[in-house]
Amino acid sequence: MANRRLLVKRRKAVKNIRKITRTMQLIATARFQAAHSAAVSRRPYTDKLAELTAHIAGAMGDLEHPLMKVPEKEERSALLVLTSMRGLCGAYNTNLLRMALERLNSHQEAGVETDVGMVGNKGVAYFKFLGRPMAETYTHIADLPSFEEVEPIANSLIGRFVAGEIDAVDVAYTKFFSAGRQKPMIERLLPLSRPQAEEHGDAEAGGDMHAEYEFSPSPEELLDELLPATVRVRLFQAFTDSAVSEQVARMVAMKAATDAAQDMIKRLTQQYNRARQTQITLELLDIVGGANALA
Amino acid sequence: MENENVGKVTQVIGSTLDAQFAEESLPAIYNAMRIDIERTVQDETFTEALWCEVAQHLGGGRVRAVALGSTDGVQRGAQIFDTGTPIQVPVGEETLGRVFNMVGETIDDLGAVEIEERRPIHHEPPELADLSAKTELFETGIKVMDLLCPLVRGGKAGLFGGAGVGKTVIIQELIARLARFHSGYSCFAGVGERTREGNDLWLEMQEAQIGDTGKRVIDQTVMVFGQMNEPPGARLRVALSALTMAEYFRDQTGADTLLFVDNIFRFSQAGSEVSALLGRMPSAVGYQPTLGTEMGELQERITSTSSGAVTSIQAIYVPADDYTDPAPATAFTHLDSTVNLERSIAEKGIYPAVDPLASSSRIVAPEYIGEHHYRVARRVQQILQRYKDLQDIIAILGVDELSEEDKIIVRRARKIERFLSQAFYVAEQFISIPGTYVSREDTIRSFEELCDGKWDHLPDQAFMYVGTIEDAAARAEEIEKG
Repeated sequence: MANRRLLVKRRKAVKNIRKITRTMQLIATARFQAAHSAAVSRRPYTDKLAELTAHIAGAMGDLEHPLMKVPEKEERSALLVLTSMRGLCGAYNTNLLRMALERLNSHQEAGVETDVGMVGNKGVAYFKFLGRPMAETYTHIADLPSFEEVEPIANSLIGRFVAGEIDAVDVAYTKFFSAGRQKPMIERLLPLSRPQAEEHGDAEAGGDMHAEYEFSPSPEELLDELLPATVRVRLFQAFTDSAVSEQVARMVAMKAATDAAQDMIKRLTQQYNRARQTQITLELLDIVGGANALA
Repeated sequence: MENENVGKVTQVIGSTLDAQFAEESLPAIYNAMRIDIERTVQDETFTEALWCEVAQHLGGGRVRAVALGSTDGVQRGAQIFDTGTPIQVPVGEETLGRVFNMVGETIDDLGAVEIEERRPIHHEPPELADLSAKTELFETGIKVMDLLCPLVRGGKAGLFGGAGVGKTVIIQELIARLARFHSGYSCFAGVGERTREGNDLWLEMQEAQIGDTGKRVIDQTVMVFGQMNEPPGARLRVALSALTMAEYFRDQTGADTLLFVDNIFRFSQAGSEVSALLGRMPSAVGYQPTLGTEMGELQERITSTSSGAVTSIQAIYVPADDYTDPAPATAFTHLDSTVNLERSIAEKGIYPAVDPLASSSRIVAPEYIGEHHYRVARRVQQILQRYKDLQDIIAILGVDELSEEDKIIVRRARKIERFLSQAFYVAEQFISIPGTYVSREDTIRSFEELCDGKWDHLPDQAFMYVGTIEDAAARAEEIEKG
């Protein structure tokens, strides 16, 4: 017979937790919708930009650009890891960090020096706990990241890449496919890959009305503008995907937690009722027994 | 026998009866009385003795007595003989290797015992000044017990547990472990438990050898049974009978004596059955008002004196898993080490199902078991306690929400939890894993390394039913190979 008072106390605690997790679930749902629509509304711009870059690249033929320069040997790279600012989102951070760690370890084995740029309190705390060095940490990104927040990060990475300080830049983030599917992955941000032009080449082949453009200013000048913009936008896309995925993960985790709390409350209530009933029965037995003995 | 004090039965109520004696020759409290009952079974008539014990004086020469056997066939007006002394049981070397009932008759069909000495089952506990003050750990080779609730040589240990969590198995295992390597004598009291278990134990003891001396365990053991089928009077006194025999070995031979009792709760229960029939008012939860006194009278006699040590191990049933029930609660205070068996652990398939947080021993203190052992034991408990505290959070939010420190604690706690399981000698035929004996040094070292995180890489499964930590590592390799 568990102590009744203890059971009541525990049930109260679980009820409070349930209240919190349910609220978190609702908030996560609202934030997810906001983040999702923001991501969706940005997509035409991103697509158009990619298309344009492809056109120009296609027109240029064999083009050379500092942002596309593949180093002969990768000796020093940067890994940007996008974790969340807050917890209570299930295995969202755990899965991503595990993947990032695997990459870091394989880099270490291959002799590639890797600077870690850690975004998010959770990742920072984890790496501090492991005692792993971080070159840079960013812990003040909003739930819905704005372009102004991401741009400086992208610019500094571009600057370092162009200056030859680093040979490659990777981003580890959770890619958002749909509300039911998100996947942690590592993507190469720099050097920009060439096949971009071919990807969009297919779309062009579909349209017969494809025309040769005349460029003014020259394609080189345009690319100097467009390629860094592509890098920025792609990084921004990674941030947005991360944010959407985080809200989905939180939604799912909090739903599960609320359900689990519900089950536990049910069980505790049962235990409590049983304990109470037993105690009443015992007391009745004592009273009746005593009365009979006296009679 | 002719000048015996004779009375007449005036009333029979279940297992108690009233008798009328002459006012001036009233039998004293605790005196044994005998009724000869004539029985006829298949045309064969024989006389059977029913023993009774005086419990109350009712006034006017009337006494109320507890029957120590079945009162079937007792008639009002039947003659009842006062023997003038309490029940006496045979003691001495002659009793070794034999099985008795509570009045000292053999029940193993091996013929009568040549008895030189009998002793009354009731007498005073040893004097305060005679008690021994030694405190020494009694190694069992069972990891969880040696680490967290070590037995005390010459002390008392209680195995608490609800129905079917493995009390009897542990008692039998301890007999197998301790009696086999024990140079002194052993006494086993079967109080109100299954007769079949008593029979199993008896047969097993006949087969088991003591060390490599070629002697059988049974040759150094006395067994006394008053099992479930016996009336409450017998179950109430059988522990005293066994204890009296053990006391003889302690006082006369000075040898270390082991006393196993399965199950002390049945003693309290029998007391409560009799109590109502004796007309006492029931106390809390229907138990006898004299529950504490009865338990005290028994337990105070189970003790080590300057002449010899009695180490006793008692199983104590916990009704409905409720440790606050008066019967187990009164037994608690008398013990040096308490081993709590927990249903939720047994349900996980971890045996022995010892609750590592609720079990304790008086000697878990640096001055008795040494600083090192103490520190390791407390660390293990800290980790498990933290795990227990986190359990609700894990159940609701999942392991992922824990901090990194807590995740490590949870991982280690799961390994420790499993590592506390151990294969038993007596269970070998059931689980087909041979029993393991782990020395105390190995136990301490294994758990220390586990706490330090040296074995974090092994899968949890590898820790089930292994001996030392090296065995776990070997098991892990086997699992990996498939």
